[in-house]
Amino acid sequence: MNLLELLRLAVSRLRTSRLRAALTMLGVVIGVASVVALVGVGQGTTSNITSRLASLGTNLLTISPTGGSTAKPLTLEDAAAVATIDGVAAVAPELQTSGTVAVGTQNETTSIVGTNAAYADVRAYDVWQGSFLTDPTVDSGLRVAVLGATTASNLNLDASAIGSTISINGLPFRVIGILQPKGGSGFNNPDDEVLVPLAAVSKYFVGGDTVRTIGVSVASGDRMTEVTNAITALLRSRHELAATATADFSVFNQTQLLDAASSISTTLTLLLGGIASISLVVGGIGIMNIMLVSVRERTREIGIRKAVGARGRDILAQFLIEALTLSLLGGVIGIVIGLGVSALIGQLAGWGFQFNPTTVAAAVLFSLAVGVVFGVWPARQAARLDPINALRYE
Amino acid sequence: MIPIGAAPAPPPIVALDRVSRTYAMDGVRVEALRDVSLAVAPGEFVAIIGPSGSGKSTMMNIIGCLDRPSAGAYRLAGMPVAELSDDGLARLRSRTIGFVFQSYNLLPRTTALENVATPLLYQGVGRRERTKRATAALERLGLGDRLHHEPNQLSGGQQQRVAVARAIVTDPALILADEPTGNLDTASGRDVLAVLRELHSTGRTIVLITHNAEVATAATRQVHIRDGQLTDGWMAA
Repeated sequence: MNLLELLRLAVSRLRTSRLRAALTMLGVVIGVASVVALVGVGQGTTSNITSRLASLGTNLLTISPTGGSTAKPLTLEDAAAVATIDGVAAVAPELQTSGTVAVGTQNETTSIVGTNAAYADVRAYDVWQGSFLTDPTVDSGLRVAVLGATTASNLNLDASAIGSTISINGLPFRVIGILQPKGGSGFNNPDDEVLVPLAAVSKYFVGGDTVRTIGVSVASGDRMTEVTNAITALLRSRHELAATATADFSVFNQTQLLDAASSISTTLTLLLGGIASISLVVGGIGIMNIMLVSVRERTREIGIRKAVGARGRDILAQFLIEALTLSLLGGVIGIVIGLGVSALIGQLAGWGFQFNPTTVAAAVLFSLAVGVVFGVWPARQAARLDPINALRYE
Repeated sequence: MIPIGAAPAPPPIVALDRVSRTYAMDGVRVEALRDVSLAVAPGEFVAIIGPSGSGKSTMMNIIGCLDRPSAGAYRLAGMPVAELSDDGLARLRSRTIGFVFQSYNLLPRTTALENVATPLLYQGVGRRERTKRATAALERLGLGDRLHHEPNQLSGGQQQRVAVARAIVTDPALILADEPTGNLDTASGRDVLAVLRELHSTGRTIVLITHNAEVATAATRQVHIRDGQLTDGWMAA
């Protein structure tokens, strides 16, 4: 018997018991759908993290304080010292606070970042309208502001707003520029911020010369490690740390961050996929259960088939193909549902939908494997039936 | 020792030579068949008659290659059955024997046409050819208008005629009918026996197994079985 004949038999058999076939498939459908959906969501998260980190800036090192009772804060002097290190292209100290920005009746709570003119280079921002902070405005602590793309649109501000006045925490600031969007969204959106001169933040909102982070742009990618080591050595000596003491700051290499983030995300994806495949196994057991019942119910049919010339392997193939048809059909339906769900989640979370042929191929193979693994045993039971007893079976 | 019989040639379709079959049931040995020898020549219509428990079902299973003898030799159409594997038996059944059972044994939820075509399926005959031959077999049995009926849409007599069509569709050397009239009313039973006689008249070899002496009169030769032994009839020397 060739495969086509067997498929025809299996399909006509499944059509005579549609409800049972549908319920049996449901287990595999749910299993495959959850594997595909969760892996899709995991991969979406990974690529989202990766692209967002890439948009933070090229060759970026971020120095942040790690805290502790004896820790010394990072200061503007630290930033100035770092700027003198060989291989450092630009340094942008950042002092971040949150504040309410108001224009007319519009109100928006967002992050206020005090920084300098190098920020645009270090963090890879482009100006859409107006101009960026300049060294003279930064040095004099003028009350000027550059708006992130999201902040500007939240406040209904467009190109005509350049030169107008907005209020930050009650104080008037003049808008000098609006940034190009970077295309992030949701939590920690890089387009939702207001940039003002560092001195303005320390003068009006926070006080002191402490900075939250220092962004450092390194001249070239292959000098990242060298510059990281130089910064560490410099700041350790500036903070008068003993050779054995832990540093009270950390230097973040963005590439490391990216690697760490994507490895966490990959692990999570595997974990989610693993959990979801448990339900696939349960679905497979459902198929095995139904196939065993079916072999018992159809004992007489098997006897008749054997009497009219079916060999053991014909019966084996018939039942195996039936199980495979169930699992494969369930798998295909599951893939469609899973892709739909991951597309929906991607849409809601804002990272879009990526069709991943590897996942689909893996899901198809997996459901085939489920069919074989859980179909073989019942099929062997059927193939081994003794025709005499099978014919007599009521 | 091969039973030779009155007619020296051609060789017999069925040749049982001192065949025994013993079962172990709950540790007790039951001798269902004892030293049975029987030869059926091509073109014969033989009835094997015996009451229930006489061993006639065992006889039918052995002749039908559904079971193997415990002792003795059985050749079906010249093939020594003892030497065949399960798959070999299946192939031999498929090529050589057409079964007609008491309870019809049609595949449920399957049309008459597909039921009759099933033996051809296992012979690897193509779909078009299967349909053609199955249709011809059904038409020959007067069921040309019932091709797409399922068994539960057919009367008992019609179902048994579908089963006969299935038995002849492969053009087998032997038709083995086990109480073919047992589930039928008198008229339908007579009808099926008429079909068998008609098949015999066209040269087919038929072995009919029954407990009913009247049914057995349809055959040209009767063999009686009791307590696992042939008690009389036309035995090989």
